[in-house]
Amino acid sequence: MKHESKQRSQEQEQLAASSAQQTNTREFATTEELLRHDAAQVEVPPAVADRLAQSLRNEPQPERSWWQRWLKR
Amino acid sequence: MDACVNEATGASALPNPLRSLPGTEEFAELYETHSKAVYYLALRFLADPQKAEDVTHDVFLKVYRKFGEFRGDSSIRTWLYRITINHCQNLKQSWHNRNMVTTADDTVWNTTAASAASPLRALETKELGERIQTTLAALPEEYRLLLLLIADNELSYEEVATLTEQTPDAVRGKLHRARKAFAAHFAKTA
Repeated sequence: MKHESKQRSQEQEQLAASSAQQTNTREFATTEELLRHDAAQVEVPPAVADRLAQSLRNEPQPERSWWQRWLKR
Repeated sequence: MDACVNEATGASALPNPLRSLPGTEEFAELYETHSKAVYYLALRFLADPQKAEDVTHDVFLKVYRKFGEFRGDSSIRTWLYRITINHCQNLKQSWHNRNMVTTADDTVWNTTAASAASPLRALETKELGERIQTTLAALPEEYRLLLLLIADNELSYEEVATLTEQTPDAVRGKLHRARKAFAAHFAKTA
């Protein structure tokens, strides 16, 4: 009886491990679906926006058009 | 400014520093809408996160400077991708491996046993991104680009054809081979 319960316990452990692995396995019907899933996990590093903001601060101010200069008289 | 929670995803999102600049609200919104797509394309095409950051920065800086020249004869996404692809290809040409000759042969992919219709099965682990990157990097550049562009739901076959300078029919034909090649190589990365 003890042997049977130990065996049953081992079987249950194996099933649990197998289920755990199965729940982490995904199937993607197409390459595009896989890539979309991948794309959804990828975030743009925040440093890019910081760097871009700095670059924009260094951009020369655009010249006002003639009508803007005229209106500001 | 405090970090805010994205209502759609529930994830916390840092405030966009571009919104703090006067007169750039429209541009900041453009960045928020399209930066992920631009970065992902550059990342998976170049297989280099630092270069992908550089490309993303350069693309949007160019957009900021040239937005007045955008004629609206394509979608904004297509225009952004056009700039991104040009940047990526310029970067690759300026690399030290410009003179390396590839022995990749299209017929190699056509003799593989993998079917383009087979599901791709993968453990959902952090290694999945690495496997995808390894697989894409092994493909001919043309296949890599096609797969990345067609994966974007916002692009039609016609837009992908325009971006890759071929007909939609040619895109469909090459896509079949590209998917097959991807599946074959992806299976080897397991």
